Amino acid sequence: MKLSFKGLVSIFEPLLFSFRFTGNRKRLLYIIFVAALVASVTRLLVPVYIGQSITALEQGKSSLVGFFLVLIITVSVITAVSQFFINYLSQKLAQWYAFNLRTVLLDRLLRKKGTFMDSRTSGDLLSRSTMDIEASRNFILNTASQLISTILLIVIALYLLISINPIFALFFLAAVPLLVRIGMVFQRKQRTHWRKIRMHYGTMNERLQENIVGQRVVRGYNGMQSEFSRFSGTTSDYYDEYMEVAQLRGFYNNLMPFIVGAAATAVILYGGYIDLLTGSTVGGLVAAVNIFIMVSMPVSFLGRIIVFSENARAGIDRIKEVIDSGDEETYDNNGIVPQNYDLVFRDVSFYRGTREVLRSINLRIGFGEKIAITGRLGSGKSTLVSLISRIYDPSSGVITIGGVSITDVPLVTLRKIVALVPQGSNILSGTIFENIAFGRDVSLDEVQKACKTAQIADFIESLEQKYNTLVGERGITLSGGQKQRLLVARALVGKPKILILDDATSSVDPETELAMLNSISTSLNGVTLIIVSHRPSVLRFSERKVRLENGKITEEEQLPRNYVDADNNTKSVATGDE
Amino acid sequence: MAKTYEETEEEYLKTEKNSKAFLRLIREIFRDRGTTAKVVISVIITALAGTFYPLALGLSIDGILSRNEFYFVFFALIFLFLFFVVFLSNRLRTVQTTKLAQQKVKDLRDRAFLSLQEAHINFFSKVKTGYLISRITNDAENLSEFLTFQLPQVVSGIVTVVFSVVIMSILNFSLTLYALLIIPVLLLFTFSLQGRVMRNYLATRKTIAAITGSMSETINAFRAIKAYSAEESFEASFSKLNKNNFSANMKAAKLSSLFGSVVRIIEAFGIVFVIYEGARELTAGLISIGILVSFILYVQEFFDPVTQLSQLYTSYQSAMVGVSRIYSIIDVEGEALDGNKGNQPSFRDSIEFKNVSFSYGSALALKNVNIKISRGDRIGIVGHTGAGKTTFSNLLLGFYSPSEGEILLDGQNLKKYDPASYRHIIAPVLQDMFLFRGTVIENISFSNPLLTRDEIISMAREFGLIEIFEGLPYGFDTDVGELGSNLSDGQKQAVSLMRAFVRRPEILLMDEPTSQVDPFTESIIIEALKRYVADRTLVLITHRFSMISLVDRIIVIDHGNVIQEGSFESLNVKGTEFYNLYQTYSGIE
Repeated sequence: MKLSFKGLVSIFEPLLFSFRFTGNRKRLLYIIFVAALVASVTRLLVPVYIGQSITALEQGKSSLVGFFLVLIITVSVITAVSQFFINYLSQKLAQWYAFNLRTVLLDRLLRKKGTFMDSRTSGDLLSRSTMDIEASRNFILNTASQLISTILLIVIALYLLISINPIFALFFLAAVPLLVRIGMVFQRKQRTHWRKIRMHYGTMNERLQENIVGQRVVRGYNGMQSEFSRFSGTTSDYYDEYMEVAQLRGFYNNLMPFIVGAAATAVILYGGYIDLLTGSTVGGLVAAVNIFIMVSMPVSFLGRIIVFSENARAGIDRIKEVIDSGDEETYDNNGIVPQNYDLVFRDVSFYRGTREVLRSINLRIGFGEKIAITGRLGSGKSTLVSLISRIYDPSSGVITIGGVSITDVPLVTLRKIVALVPQGSNILSGTIFENIAFGRDVSLDEVQKACKTAQIADFIESLEQKYNTLVGERGITLSGGQKQRLLVARALVGKPKILILDDATSSVDPETELAMLNSISTSLNGVTLIIVSHRPSVLRFSERKVRLENGKITEEEQLPRNYVDADNNTKSVATGDE
Repeated sequence: MAKTYEETEEEYLKTEKNSKAFLRLIREIFRDRGTTAKVVISVIITALAGTFYPLALGLSIDGILSRNEFYFVFFALIFLFLFFVVFLSNRLRTVQTTKLAQQKVKDLRDRAFLSLQEAHINFFSKVKTGYLISRITNDAENLSEFLTFQLPQVVSGIVTVVFSVVIMSILNFSLTLYALLIIPVLLLFTFSLQGRVMRNYLATRKTIAAITGSMSETINAFRAIKAYSAEESFEASFSKLNKNNFSANMKAAKLSSLFGSVVRIIEAFGIVFVIYEGARELTAGLISIGILVSFILYVQEFFDPVTQLSQLYTSYQSAMVGVSRIYSIIDVEGEALDGNKGNQPSFRDSIEFKNVSFSYGSALALKNVNIKISRGDRIGIVGHTGAGKTTFSNLLLGFYSPSEGEILLDGQNLKKYDPASYRHIIAPVLQDMFLFRGTVIENISFSNPLLTRDEIISMAREFGLIEIFEGLPYGFDTDVGELGSNLSDGQKQAVSLMRAFVRRPEILLMDEPTSQVDPFTESIIIEALKRYVADRTLVLITHRFSMISLVDRIIVIDHGNVIQEGSFESLNVKGTEFYNLYQTYSGIE
């Protein structure tokens, strides 16, 4: 990249983006600017006063020295106070930016349609909402606290040097761009290696996780040695990359002070000869050398800030893809509330990209019906049931509840009527109560009832803290079946009219599952139950079976209502599956 | 209740019992004598050059003042030369310290990994996966930063300060005292703030970790949040965390900004003291102007190392917490006993469980069990969930040893053998079909790296499984994804079955092999198994009956006891436990 004017302006782009999120507080920038101006002037006055006191001593006017010493203390105190405001307010601006951006981002994310979320991995979204925000926040901080000050510092140093001796200023003008340039080159080269280090770090993490989670398999097959060499290979890659960084750091980080030293030497030699020839005082020379040394540190960092800006811009582009992409649901409280809960699919098709996941589905599920949906992996079962909760909207066709198209029902109302227990969902960290209430205003009594129905109450009651027991990351570990029953309880506590279990009981043993299903139909009087499963035990419970193949209904069958006496009808139902 | 990472860390920081770990670390690092020597030499050279360059500047200025051109130019060039020396020696130091540090970090990670590979399986039931991962990745990363960036810089800086003080004292002792006046003030000030700085730092880390955790959960729970219209409640709880993070950061910012400002004022006083005393001595004719200029530079050079020293203290503590935790993983005892290493067992006749009891904690999982598996037997172990079936498989695989009784391999107690070599006999197909990131073929050949690709493919064909693999997008080269997420359960099952087959084990152990497989895939798998076990020993553990036709003998376990044993026909009699089990589960999957 050339250091063109356009390039210079684009360095500040992240700052412009940040104005969207800093609101009134962008006024802090004015204060920061003024403080930076004051701090730069007063900071540079210190070497000037040092030089002048040397001159005073040289000329034998030691009574003047005291005066300069008072000045040094005074300007240092002013620098210190200004510097406090620069640092503190820059942090405030940057933190305020991150705070608001996070709020906006989460808000936008939660309003996205299901299709948006499907097109991205959770890792990708997480890195946008954490690392990318951090990178841009860091840059805002650097811009406010360092970039502005450094630029002012350079301008004022230049002015002071000109006033001491214009030739000194020329040396300075040669050294500064060189330092900035070296800083940029260094940072760019370093960046690729850091990316690789992070990548190796990720791989290391993955290998480690696999080996801990899968250690029975590793041991069962005596794969310890080969797994160790794989892991050790990753740590070696990591080591090699670090050594590359060390070579770069060793060279560039130490090259910059050397250049400052060379420039200072030039100042001494040139200034010394002038002083020798003219017999003038060395105070100016001392001041100039001190200015060089003082400015060298921030200038060396300037190049790196410029490259940080590139990172921040890349991060901001990725953030914009989330917050500005649209793809959002409309939350409108006006709409029609259905009076009954018969569910009808009319010619419903759904495309994911160009792939037709569901093909003209026509299906009627009466209120209170118990229906099983079967089919192989990828046949479209999960998509079909997700449409009812409007996680997705059909590409064509209509779904109605009680004769009302579900697009006319307010989303919140619809999702109160329909409770979907999605496939493979997980519990969150928090208490059992919080996991079941899930943000809704429900009493402990209601939660207990739901747990009883979901056949998990006995287990919870056996815990010391009962419903206040922590689960998830920091809490107790639940078995797969226990988790699934908790998730069913979460659905039940909202007293839905239509309950959808999307393969949500696969780890619950069949006896408990049957007890749960029976209990649901009695406690939620007349609830519609839609169960995605290929378990014969579920079929035994259901009244009707719908089979999907490649997004089409290929089979619809009324089942004998035999769940009351399971023993006699076991065989006939079981063979009915395949 | 398990504590969080931050909580444990905080506790450690309060107790400070890490000096032992630090000494052990330093001893290990210095074992690489060659690199250590280079580091020491480069630090000393840097310090010497760093000490002399302000002096060279001062002498050069004295040359100007005394109108001695040679003096002036000579010392100016020395000044430049010293910068060049610092460039070279610092470059050497950067590379060599990184080498020392990164060597050690790699070594610690490798050793911890190896230690986990050899640890008794019990260890994993006590410690959470996340905890272990964070030790070997995060903690080692903190250490890496500490050893690579922070420690060398500060050590080098402090050595320079010490050298400078020596030189200054030689030049002018009383002026040196004035220059050093501010150092105790600076130290006192920075160390007095350390406690608060550290608390603030931990608070910012804790709050940002909470934000990341909440974001991650929200993204993963997206469908559930939609399904229950819980958007607003999630936003509200997130907003709380976000605010906490904001105020924690602002609190930290206030302190660190204040710190920076006060240090600047102290620095100004340092300069003023030197000029004040210097002016007095200059007037008395005790020093030259050049020396005074040198001293002004020296006093400014003190600041960075001294303030860094105090910051180092914080990172030293948190790095050492990490180190002691990594060492505690490295020091975990392995499952192999010293006496049994290298004993290579073979399976000629039988494996026998003789009066075996086992308990994980207080409750007995197996009670006085007697089971004999002879060569060529095909045995089914059945029972309800929690009856003790998986305990049986853990014992058979040597993951645990019986609490009472013994397991005999061809009449010899299993304890005599190294568990790793004993496991050559058995290939397990376990309940959690664990797949590594990589392709299907890599996941299969893992158990027998000597087999070629063609041999594996022809085995898949021989057992009729080829259809399943060829149905995948890239056949055997399909990437299985994280924990096998790109494959269906049936496909994963086929991979883990092939993994067992290619090992050509004496005994095939299947633990609940067909949970959640669609019926089509299952029929293929059963067919493959039938061919495979025709002339081999099979132990099938299940509470489902779709595969029961594979076995000749069934053992029913209930509450840790063997309650029935015999052929299918002899057991399937109305009124027995087996009959009830069969009625409950038959036809299910």
